[in-house]
Amino acid sequence: MPRLNSAADLEKFRKDTLAKRDPEKLCVTVCSGTGCHAYGCIGVAESFINEIKSRNLQAKVDVRKTGCHGFCERGTVVIIFPEEICYLHVKPDDVSEIVQKTLIEKGTVDRLLYHDTDGKKIVREGEIPFYKHQNRIIFGNNRFIDPKNIDDYIALGGYSALSKARFEMTQEQVLAEVKEANLRGRGGGGFPAGRKWETTRDAAGEPKYVIVNADEGDPGAYMDRSLLEGNPHSVLEGLLIGAYAIGSHEGYIYVREEYPLALENTKVAIESARQYGLLGENILGSGFDFDVTIHRGAGAFVSGESSALMSAIEGHVGEPRPKYIHTSVKGLWDKPTCLNNVETWANVPFIINKGADWFKSIGTENSKGTKIFSLVGKINNTGLVEVPMGITLRDIVYDIGGGIPNDKKFKAVQTGGPSGGLLPESMLDIHVDFDELTRAGSMMGSGGMIVMDENTCMVDTARYYTEFLAQESCGKCVPCREGLRQMLRILNNITNGEGKEGDIELLEELSEFIQEASLCALGQTAPNPVLSTIKHFRHEYEAHITETRCPAGVCKALISYYIEADDCLGCGLCAKNCPTDAISETEDKIYVIDQEKCIKCGSCLKVCPEKAKAVALQDALYARY
Amino acid sequence: MCAKKQISSASGFQDSMMADVVVIDDEESICEGCRQTLEAEGFRAVIAHDGTEGLKLVEQSHPKVVLVDLKMPGISGMEVLANISEYDPSIVTIVITGYGSIDSAVETMKIGASDFLTKPFAPEKLIESVRRGMEVTRPAEEAEVTEQVVRPLEVPEKAPLNKQNVVLKGLEVLGQYYSLGFKERQFFDELRCLESEAKHHADRLGQMKEKGQAVLDIVRDLRRVDSIIQKYAYKKNTLIQILLDVQMEFNWLPRHCLEWVSTRLNIPHTNIYTVASFYEALSLEPRGAHLIQICTGTACHVRGAASLVDRVSSILGIEPGQTDSEQLFTLETVHCLGCCALGPVMVVDGEYYSNPSTKQIQEIAASCKVSSEKGENYAQVELSR
Repeated sequence: MPRLNSAADLEKFRKDTLAKRDPEKLCVTVCSGTGCHAYGCIGVAESFINEIKSRNLQAKVDVRKTGCHGFCERGTVVIIFPEEICYLHVKPDDVSEIVQKTLIEKGTVDRLLYHDTDGKKIVREGEIPFYKHQNRIIFGNNRFIDPKNIDDYIALGGYSALSKARFEMTQEQVLAEVKEANLRGRGGGGFPAGRKWETTRDAAGEPKYVIVNADEGDPGAYMDRSLLEGNPHSVLEGLLIGAYAIGSHEGYIYVREEYPLALENTKVAIESARQYGLLGENILGSGFDFDVTIHRGAGAFVSGESSALMSAIEGHVGEPRPKYIHTSVKGLWDKPTCLNNVETWANVPFIINKGADWFKSIGTENSKGTKIFSLVGKINNTGLVEVPMGITLRDIVYDIGGGIPNDKKFKAVQTGGPSGGLLPESMLDIHVDFDELTRAGSMMGSGGMIVMDENTCMVDTARYYTEFLAQESCGKCVPCREGLRQMLRILNNITNGEGKEGDIELLEELSEFIQEASLCALGQTAPNPVLSTIKHFRHEYEAHITETRCPAGVCKALISYYIEADDCLGCGLCAKNCPTDAISETEDKIYVIDQEKCIKCGSCLKVCPEKAKAVALQDALYARY
Repeated sequence: MCAKKQISSASGFQDSMMADVVVIDDEESICEGCRQTLEAEGFRAVIAHDGTEGLKLVEQSHPKVVLVDLKMPGISGMEVLANISEYDPSIVTIVITGYGSIDSAVETMKIGASDFLTKPFAPEKLIESVRRGMEVTRPAEEAEVTEQVVRPLEVPEKAPLNKQNVVLKGLEVLGQYYSLGFKERQFFDELRCLESEAKHHADRLGQMKEKGQAVLDIVRDLRRVDSIIQKYAYKKNTLIQILLDVQMEFNWLPRHCLEWVSTRLNIPHTNIYTVASFYEALSLEPRGAHLIQICTGTACHVRGAASLVDRVSSILGIEPGQTDSEQLFTLETVHCLGCCALGPVMVVDGEYYSNPSTKQIQEIAASCKVSSEKGENYAQVELSR
């Protein structure tokens, strides 16, 4: 392991590494993000290694386990360089065929390629519509890098921004560049990072701290995790540059415990950066000292709030405090502390390397650069997408996401996580940036984007978010703790068919109160899902209250399953799959559901053979009987 | 250091007078009662009948805990308290008072008393209060105190051993004693002390048949906790990290382990329990050998996670957050596992299942039952497939 003692050392090491690598050499990259782990990518990678070994191809082919490629819907994703042949849904059994047909015979395995709606096959990764409409800058390097190998990152120009900032720029120039680029925080609020840095730098008190917030608690959002898993060095480099500009020598990375792979890769990255002299004392021989500690979060949504997160690092319960004085002035141990989200830090090396003008050329007037979204829910192409600010929601949902599965109708898209709002179809053409989303009654948040179709109940969705927030409320301030509990009670009543006239107005009134009076952003934004669903889908609330009907067929108390006697084939699949034995055979050899025992899980509907379609869903309880 | 001036500098003639507790009260019956109760519990107690005598005894016998009556002839209880706290702030003082008014209690707490007993008090109350007081002394502060206050009589302390290590060693000895079949009556005083310490860490020790093994198991657990705490260099701010590691090690947070963390880090129990009950990743209940997680993140929710939870619940017969009576399964809902493409997703011991059917769930449950021995080390296999 070399210790790099100057900018020249780093440059020489990069050249040496590149010289050792033949760009024409075949390289099989296997996506090893958590999504692909769930699909069994470890087995795929092992099969490749074994197969290549058994055919004695080690000298001709490299195998690399990379971070997340983003196309989680089609995991395990395998890309073969230099041709960039992209295979999807790869299973260990497919490996030997890929090795034979592609690595040896230079052909393709057609059944594993992407096929567009017309059935045309697409070979190259970049031409797949999911990728074609993206602008992968921050996330793009994931597919080239083995996150456990620092050399991969350095070979791609890694740490050159740090070297540039440290040797060619003053602290003020670095700060000015980031301010000029107008980089806004990617964690939710969109506060300009440069201004935060400046406040921390100018605040009285030593030492100053810098923190990476990787406590990604939004359900349905996982881009920070994938970034930290797939390219931890880019986050570290950003942090180092920030620390230099601010004058900090100590940092923390706060990672959720639920992200074991991100934790592991970050640990490895820190260790190897220390060995290379890129972290610790006298970084790159420049006299600049900086080190970083990992803090594992223990599962509390509110701990992602800056003051709560700092309280957790201090070893206390992760509860927020009033921020009359910003954490950038008095944060960790009451010292000036600059906290930014993973993605924000990862943007910094690009801004330093390519300049503020380049960064400003992407995006809209007040929101520059790109943003990574996790596009999930009722969507064909679930995955992580990086798009320039200002792209329309429609482009994201249809061009990149491939629309709604099973020809269902689009109903809404939820952005900003539990603090955000739901946007109906009429708003699909808004341009996605910080200000537009806020204007539309939602927010950017950390970048979760959950698509919902006609079978999603909006009241249930509002209830879901409220339940989540009521659970996660730390209980420190009354409006949030009690207000959310009351809202949840009302919503539970409505979804149970016990809603009353006036409930909607009461919800609105409570919402206003909670927004105004809560201590931290969790409470202040908590009513957003309820307010936005009332605004755009009031008729669904009314159907629940006045007709005791759930139009989407979701709310359990308001629906029932029954078997159409004329269509039943008597196959008994439904009875076998019923977890509560609620389905029994009658004398006529057909099946009926005992409504008393039924827990309405829908298993019977799922297994009923296509040709029979005898199980039906009634959107009002016992309406048939 | 007025206490020192007041009390004639004590000479070393009374080495035998080392005591754990000094009781200062003008009522003979109270003094005697306390002494007998405390000695029966294995504490060494000495008594004094007025303030002056009491302060002398404190200086001579280096107690950890001093019980002081508020109303006494001569020097008042308040003055005695003030003198003691100035003499050696690490001594824990407990006030005995005949009139338990709030005002006087607050007043005494202000000058450093850590507890108070209202006369008449039950022997159990006394023992509990004294025992709590004995725990307060801690390694870090012990060192500090010996530096600051030059004591006329040096406490004979084995250099590398701090109190906690002595306790661990002692508990081991106690466990071996039990194993050899010794009866409690034959115990030396020291062993009695140890037994009360052991009881403190395992409240059901009295009812256990295999006491020897039980104590040894406890010591083994505490040593495992110790090695975790050591990794974090006894820093208080690493509490959450330590608890996460303890949880990883034991699969939950057993009470004696939390007590030990509290002793080692010198963090009050209530703070430890505040943290332990706040975070979802920490469990104060034993968990099953197999962990079943169902993701209820938004993406999974809109794809039907709620009905998956219902199905799994009804098959296993437990609600989310519960463990079955045989401690085979723990069912949990988690907010997002970040594999939204598979939603609704269920994870069993690190194995992912995308929207499993009723039959599949039944099969998985059955295979878990068969291989329940394997459950031991599931904690670290979240991702290893």
